[in-house]
Amino acid sequence: MSANRTISPSTLSLKDLPWQIDWKKDRCTLCGQCTAVCPVQAIELGVFRKRNLVTSIHRVEDNQTSFETFYGIRQKTTIPEACIGCAMCAMVCPNDAIEPTPSTGTPRFRFHQDQDGEPRKRGGRRNTTESLLDQIKFIRISMLTDPALDAGRHEFEMRSLLGRVLPPEENMRRLRTHGWIPPVREIYPLIIGGMSFGALSPTMWEGLQMGVAYLNEELGMPVRISTGEGGCPPRLLRSRFLKYVILQIASGYFGWDEIIHAIPHMKEDPCAIEIKYGQGAKPGDGGLLMWHKVNKLIAAIRGVPQGISLPSPPTHQTQYSIEESVAKMIQSMSMAWGFRVPVYPKISASSTSLAVLNNLTRNDFASGLAIDGEDGGTGAAYSVSMDHMGHPIASCIRDNYLNLVKIGKQNEIPIFAGGGIGKNGNIAANAAALIMLGASGVQIGKYVMQAAAGCIGTEKERCNVCNLGICPKGITSQDPRLYRRLDPEAVAQRVVDLFVSFDMELKKIVAPLGRSTSLPIGMSDALGINDYAAAERLKIKYVV
Amino acid sequence: MKETEYYRISGKKEDLRLSSRILEETIQREVAHGHRVIEVEAFGQHGIGGRLFKAEGEAVKIRILGHSGQRTGSLGCANTQIEIMGPASDDIGWLNAGAEITVRGNASNGAMNGAAQGKVFIAGNIGARGMTMTKQNPRFAPPELWVLGSAGDYFGEFMAGGIAVVCGHEPQNPDSVLGYRPFVGMVGGKAFFRGKPSGYSQADAVLVPIKDADWDWLVTNIQNFLAKIGRPWLFDTLSKRSEWQLLRAKNPREKMSKSKQLSMAAFRQDVWDRELGKGGLIGDLQEVEPDAIPLITKGELRRYIPLWEHGTYKAPCQTACPTGIPVQERWHLIRNGLVEEALELGLKYTPFPATVCGNLCPSPCMASCTKNDQYMTPVNVRLMGLAGQDAVRPEPAPASGKQVAVLGAGPGGISAAWHLALKGHGVVLIDGSDKIGGKIASLIPESRIAQATLHAELDRVRELIPDIRLNQDITTQEFKRLKNEFDFVVVATGASKPRLLPVPGIEKAVSANAFLEAAKAEDAVCGKRVVIIGAGNVGCDVATEAKRLGAESISMIDVQKPAAFGKEREDAEAVGATFAWPCFTREITEGGVVLQDDDLMAADTVVVSIGDLPDIDFLSDTVDSRNGFIVVDGFNRTSDNSVFAIGDSVAPGLITDAIGAGKRAAYAIDATIQGKAPEMDDPRPQIDKARVSLEYFDPTIKSYDTLDQCGGECASCGRCRDCHICVTVCPEAAIQRFETSSGGYEYRADPALCIGCGFCAGACPCGIWALVPNTPL
Repeated sequence: MSANRTISPSTLSLKDLPWQIDWKKDRCTLCGQCTAVCPVQAIELGVFRKRNLVTSIHRVEDNQTSFETFYGIRQKTTIPEACIGCAMCAMVCPNDAIEPTPSTGTPRFRFHQDQDGEPRKRGGRRNTTESLLDQIKFIRISMLTDPALDAGRHEFEMRSLLGRVLPPEENMRRLRTHGWIPPVREIYPLIIGGMSFGALSPTMWEGLQMGVAYLNEELGMPVRISTGEGGCPPRLLRSRFLKYVILQIASGYFGWDEIIHAIPHMKEDPCAIEIKYGQGAKPGDGGLLMWHKVNKLIAAIRGVPQGISLPSPPTHQTQYSIEESVAKMIQSMSMAWGFRVPVYPKISASSTSLAVLNNLTRNDFASGLAIDGEDGGTGAAYSVSMDHMGHPIASCIRDNYLNLVKIGKQNEIPIFAGGGIGKNGNIAANAAALIMLGASGVQIGKYVMQAAAGCIGTEKERCNVCNLGICPKGITSQDPRLYRRLDPEAVAQRVVDLFVSFDMELKKIVAPLGRSTSLPIGMSDALGINDYAAAERLKIKYVV
Repeated sequence: MKETEYYRISGKKEDLRLSSRILEETIQREVAHGHRVIEVEAFGQHGIGGRLFKAEGEAVKIRILGHSGQRTGSLGCANTQIEIMGPASDDIGWLNAGAEITVRGNASNGAMNGAAQGKVFIAGNIGARGMTMTKQNPRFAPPELWVLGSAGDYFGEFMAGGIAVVCGHEPQNPDSVLGYRPFVGMVGGKAFFRGKPSGYSQADAVLVPIKDADWDWLVTNIQNFLAKIGRPWLFDTLSKRSEWQLLRAKNPREKMSKSKQLSMAAFRQDVWDRELGKGGLIGDLQEVEPDAIPLITKGELRRYIPLWEHGTYKAPCQTACPTGIPVQERWHLIRNGLVEEALELGLKYTPFPATVCGNLCPSPCMASCTKNDQYMTPVNVRLMGLAGQDAVRPEPAPASGKQVAVLGAGPGGISAAWHLALKGHGVVLIDGSDKIGGKIASLIPESRIAQATLHAELDRVRELIPDIRLNQDITTQEFKRLKNEFDFVVVATGASKPRLLPVPGIEKAVSANAFLEAAKAEDAVCGKRVVIIGAGNVGCDVATEAKRLGAESISMIDVQKPAAFGKEREDAEAVGATFAWPCFTREITEGGVVLQDDDLMAADTVVVSIGDLPDIDFLSDTVDSRNGFIVVDGFNRTSDNSVFAIGDSVAPGLITDAIGAGKRAAYAIDATIQGKAPEMDDPRPQIDKARVSLEYFDPTIKSYDTLDQCGGECASCGRCRDCHICVTVCPEAAIQRFETSSGGYEYRADPALCIGCGFCAGACPCGIWALVPNTPL
């Protein structure tokens, strides 16, 4: 750094950055691994000048000044090269000589991330660790009142239904009069939500799919995974594994011509079709896949030329009203597979969710509703959307469920909840809370990245560079130099671990309720919360 | 069998059923009284026959008639034998600590639950959760449950010890002799069974072969069991070894190994890839490398690679030099002891290293030096300039036969002629005055340039350019003639027509050029009080000369902040010149300069120094001009292809600007002569100063005494010093120095060793190494 340089308003000091590199000179062996691995080149070898003074108050000739140079790791203060706190340096350091530490103050950095007038974009989820779901307790512990079950040893069937579940007599009537009843799938209540091939690296995507296939075929758990909007590899479309897959269609319709081409060759129907209207991380905004992630492979799967940005419109362009949107999209998608496949919309949690739900109740083909709350994660969104937009999931799910109860259809249209489930690691508790508030199942995305692939992003400004294609773990990168760090097989194994472990935790929660063969959907008498206002709002017990 | 004498206790008194408490107390009392053989007529009372501690170890035999209640024989003692003559209710033998219980019929749920010792024999089927949570205390024999028929659901759940034998004789459900989900959570004990189970918890239990010792035990004890339940005739039916199976609890290690499930690797290979094809999900779309790569990679897997960018960028000094002198290259030569070569290299750029670089130039090279960024003193280029005074000029190229006339023998014209001559072209240098050197020779005060230096360098010029024609009056006619005679004409006539102010009394003032020329010729008249209008560097020269000529007060005025800088300004200030601005002249009178605000600046001599205009009336109309200056392109070409123009005739500038323009014009003419399009001499961009590491240098050095010292202290921006620091710093020993075939050298990082850490870029003093993104895969 120049001694006599001028500064600009965005000239930052180390202290202004969100992360400071703590480098220990006495331990460093100057091996270069930290600077080689740093995803943002936040650190470099620095040459430092050290002044040595020898002074004497007695003899003038003893006074000496001299200089020596030494080498060390220097942190850069430029905005694109600001440390992201990923700690890959600490991971590779053989001597534990380096680590990032979070800034203790409010980093001034955030006031300068809009260079050239471009607002900050990032990956991750809302930058807060607070979670209402974490506050919910399961207060109904049946011991002598109901036959309590043992989660570890008794047999449980943790299954949910995806599809329009009509009363048996109605189904019979329809079969007689219409010759058709809505398709319904029995699925595992924890669903891997839509993360596109493109947002995720090929190794990550394959790992997730492989893990899901293993859970189904080796462990008999009917786990389902949504493709996200970005198409689906042709081989998967033509394989029997497709039945574990929920194909997502969103406003960009990327990859759908390839899916259409594959329909005649499909061995199996997909589990369902998810129509994405919105996502919790960036309500009202579409996908933001930037050109540098659109390589040959992504281009092939999405059916687009290489090296162009692929933004999805915020809305489906030819749909102008709820009635029209729901009717047109659900009809078209149902038709594509001969009305054999459930079709449901996914929306951002919103104060308008009820309107969507009410509309679905009047649509014979609507198979469910997925609602994504404000804490959902994403690969790329404007920070302002992520941090300040969207509706909390708990009250949204509750409102929708209670509305179904009011019209007597709570068992007819399943609601799936997503967004921030397990954001602090409490995945089963969060999922169970949402189920007992009325969800038929939950969708997870970010949690899978964290648990199955070692994503290090946090809600405290750590990493969150999914949008830049430089994911240090290779989860969201399209650069083989990065994504090959991730072994799909290891990801698959972690997917299995997390689902098997989740299953046990879910059983631990529902066993004391005496439930072993059906999910306690809407069983809100089991829930309590130490927050009176929240208890009133969610219509659950206030417990202190 | 001899009928035993039983002491009879009835569960009823006067047709009223006794409570369980009264019956229990009755039995305990009679045992305490010494009765050891008791027959109880039961009416569903709880727990009959347990806890007979009062017999003090003597055998007690209880026979139960009627309806035995729940938990018969519970908490039973080893001295107790119970025989139930009909079926038993729930939890027979519950928490059994040693009693032997025989049931002549079926037993309902929970048989033997929680038992630790003792035996229970059932002559029929049992209900759910038999033999559950049983355990074995190492101090005692294990508990045993014998069932003639079949077991109900959840048999052996949480079983932690003991032996269960299910004979499967006339089972309730022939397809499921062990019931639904038996042995879930089993951690100890074993179970013999005969007949077909509908499954069992494979996570907890494992089938094992029946060894001879096991069989011997079983056969022996079957006989005992059948005797107890009074069905000895079934022995032949039940003693076929092949019909029996043995199941035991898995040990913890066996439970941990998930041998049943495929490993993920096997799943990938045998299921995943088999269904999708080789390479899995995207094997059809791209080549899939199967192995994960490490975080630190080499070769083509490096994310960033180092580039040795020696000479890719210009040093700031060279960039700043209007003449384009590669200062950093010259210091490099000096650093390596090649002083002669360094000086000769200077002459390839300028004929005036000593006069201009060493004296008159304001040294933009030093002003732009990277070292300034840390308030360090730039190495002294003037030393190198001065050393060039006696340098041997380069040999010119062979004669091309082409002829160029250069009009004006000032520094620009001489530069053009010098470079044309070096390129081998015939040059005629023409000037209107009686000497060469232009303003350097005629106007610039001797205080600023030692005449010996100037003359030495002019002599060197005359050596190279023999054909110099002085005192030539250049007219329109003459210009036309020259244009016809010569292949090219370079106009370097400078700007010698003083600009004067359009104010009353201007005729009372003298122009700076006239004043300086007269001063140099020792011909000037200078009053005591001098006002100089125009406070630029020429005005400063006027001030210093005025002082020399006896002026006592010197005022320099300007309409704006004075543009004077550098040595000239320092000298003017040293002679006491005062600067004033903004001052707008209204009139010049006998008394001096009257300003717009009526102030009078008293003056005996008024010098106007507001610049000069070229005198270009002689040009033919094929040469365009604007505002009195000749219009040229980037190669100093005028609108007439055979005419070039440089120096102050194009725009006012520094001497070095004129020298640079002369070189540029000469090179463009040379290229044109060779039939090529002229090119920018050195289009390389300037190096980013941030790449240079000044930390290697001592910031306390504030002046330089020798060329050697300067060579050592030059940061050598963008020019490899050949210092080997990169070789030393590279943690993977990937960098090596190679001699090139052309006699030079280069440093290369071996891709097979390099990890792309960028340490070379970080350590390089000169900013040669750059860490750049690797080519996308």
